[in-house]
Parts: sequence; C-alpha cells; structure tokens
Amino acid sequence: MTVQYLNEEYQNIVGQLKSYLVRITASVADAEDIAQETYIKAAEKISTFRGESSLKTWVFTIASNLAKDNLRAKKRWPENVTDISRAAALSHKQFFQEAMNIRTSSPNGQFEAKEHIAFCFTCISKSLPIEQQLCIFLKEVYEFKVNEIATILDTTEAMVKYYLHTGRSKMISIFDGRCALINKEGVCHQCSELNGIYNPKQNTQEELMKIELVKEAAKGDKEHLFDLRMQVLQEIDPLTSKASALQLHHLDHNRQVMEKYLEKSNG
Amino acid sequence: MKKVITILTVLISMATSTIAQTEKASTERTTFHRTTSVSIDIKADSSIVWALLTKASDYPRWNSTVTSIEGNIAPGETIKLKSTLDAKRTFKLKIKEFVPDRRLVWGDGQGNRVYTIANNGNGMLTFTMTEKIGGLMFPMYAKMIPSFDQSFEQFASDLKKEAEKIMSTK
Repeated sequence: MTVQYLNEEYQNIVGQLKSYLVRITASVADAEDIAQETYIKAAEKISTFRGESSLKTWVFTIASNLAKDNLRAKKRWPENVTDISRAAALSHKQFFQEAMNIRTSSPNGQFEAKEHIAFCFTCISKSLPIEQQLCIFLKEVYEFKVNEIATILDTTEAMVKYYLHTGRSKMISIFDGRCALINKEGVCHQCSELNGIYNPKQNTQEELMKIELVKEAAKGDKEHLFDLRMQVLQEIDPLTSKASALQLHHLDHNRQVMEKYLEKSNG
Repeated sequence: MKKVITILTVLISMATSTIAQTEKASTERTTFHRTTSVSIDIKADSSIVWALLTKASDYPRWNSTVTSIEGNIAPGETIKLKSTLDAKRTFKLKIKEFVPDRRLVWGDGQGNRVYTIANNGNGMLTFTMTEKIGGLMFPMYAKMIPSFDQSFEQFASDLKKEAEKIMSTK
C-alpha cells in the first residue's frame, strides 16, 4: 500500500477518529495531537499494511496505542465528575459568562439536551478502567466488531467481551443511580438545569420528551436504555455538532476541574 | 503424631480432589479439618473466569455470596472480604498463589481457599473451588462454623452464569 492510498482513505476515517479521540481523552488538544501523530505513524508504516484488517481498523489501532499512553499517564476521573464540575462552575463567575458568549456568538453554540447527554457520557466514561472505556466507544459508538476491537487493543476476543460486559454493567449502574432523565430518584438534573439557562423560552419537559431515551425511561429496561443512550452518541459528532462549541467549552472546564481535583486528592 | 496428621491431610486432599466433580458441593470432615469442594463446567474462555475471579471490586455485582472485597487480588496482596456466610465478619486473606487463567489461592491462619480452572479443550472448562479449614484447635470451634456447601454451590453457579453471559456477547 502507498501513502497516496492512505491519504485518499484517511479522509473518510479522520472525522470518526478525532471524534473517538476527543471522547476518550476529553481534550481537543490531545485528540488533535494524537490524530496528527497517528497519521505520521500510518504514513511511515503504510508499506507494511497488508490489508489483513480494514484500513480503518489499522488506523484506529495506531491511534488507540497512542491514546493508551496518554490515558495511562493521567488519573481516571471519579463517577461523580459532573457534581464536582458543577460546583466548580457555580463558584467560577466567568464560566457562564463565557458560555453565554459562545451561546450567542458561535454557530455551534446551541444547547440541546441530547448533546449534553453525549457530553455527560464522555465525562463519566473516564471513571471506567481504560480498556472498558475504549471497548465501549469502539463497539457501541463506532460500531467495530468484537474481533476488530481485539485487533485494535491487541487483546483476545474473550477479553473484549469481558471489558464490554463489565463496562456496560458499570455504566448502566452509574446512570441508573445518577441520571434523572431515566430515573426519578436520579441525583443529576443538569440537562434540565442547563436547558433552563440556555433555552429559557423552551418547555424543558417537552424538549426532553422528544428524546427516545427519555420517552422509554418509564419502561425501566436498563439494557435498552443504555442502547438508546449509545444511539444518542452515535448521532453526534462532538467536534462539529450544533452544540459542539458550547459542549467543548464545558468539557474543557470539566477537564481542568478534574486535573486540579485529582492533583489535590493526591496530596 | 505430626507425621500422622500430614499423611491424613494428604489423604483428605486426594479424596476431595476426586469428590469434586459435580455442581453439588461436598464436605469431608475429620477431627482437625473440614474440606468443602464444588466443581462446575463452564462454557467460556478461561481468561473470562480468571478476570471475574481476580477483579475484587466487581465481585458484588455478579456474586451473590460476596458482599464486598477491598484490596487487590494480586500476588502477595491482602484483601478484606465480607461474605453472606457471616455478614458481621471481615476476613483478612492473603493471596498465596496466583497463576493466571489456572489457579488462585487465598487464605488465613485457619485455612486456604483454592480456585482452579481446567480447560477441557472444547470451549468448556471445569471450575473447582475447595476450602480446607482447621488446625489443632479446630474441634473446639468446629460446631460454630456454618456449612459452606450452599454458599459454594451458589458461588459456582453465579460464576457460570456470569462467564457464559459474557461469552455470549456479540
């Protein structure tokens, strides 16, 4: 295979690749760096690519290896990341001022609860062990098969199944306890709260009921609700969506809050 | 006397290794020891069973006999285990053997629990868990220790159910 072939095919892959990298690192800068490094490595090694997997799988393998190094160098986030970040935002005067500026000036500054659902999943998934986090995104959002994920993460299909099952179970349990969209007893109401702030003229409840995940919540099928949550993520590109500027601002805020929080809790 | 006890111990462990072939737990009793064992066939990869057995914090999710395990299940580590067998007690257990995908042993001064995974070559494996407790003072408190049989059967059944569910992931 040639660099020319890589260049042609890479254009079809790079969008999903960057979306994946932003979601696993929670950092646009890190995602951009890893994507760039991925391309350089891919170009260097393209002559060794024999087509035993798809080029997309091959490129994601390079990117995932680089991302794992990045993720291993940093601490995992706590499950209640959104509570800690919310408290920090409320005590940081500039946070909502910046957000409102984005809301009014950026073409990607709209607020939609769906986008916040995706953002929230990105944050909370960083509480999972790295392998579980990567497996869930690769399978549930970017639709790789189990054998492809085993190639990407250099592990066995059995272990991919283990990471998927345990990661899913953990996320289902966290959202069941936290997310007021699917559980009346849920402690987190940030979707409603933020919709009230950014879209004061909307009837928040009506807006939320347009989302399949919320509509189906009463049935209480937790596995199905998780699948619907994953559908929400599939429909949104965190770098180009209508709310990307606003949500990336929130993500940057949460990442900074977490860096300080984890540094402090380390003593 | 010491020789006699050693020979008896070896004989008991030989006996229990042949007893443990079914999903029904069995217990062998002697004056100074009690050995409970259960075996179950599981249609799953041994790495999945091993991962379930060695991820301490995940136990309460799939194993109805374990309330909590604190610590890391890794060579030389000590864990704190709470089980439904005696809800008020916390067992401090040392990880004594750790052979990935094959054998795990933890225990304290009173006894050891041994988990083994034997691949049968057709996508099936046999999981066995055996616990031998006792010592010279054992006759004095033996009656106070509840039977492990039901708890062992439940443990093995929970492990089978969870491992096979994971294996069926598409």
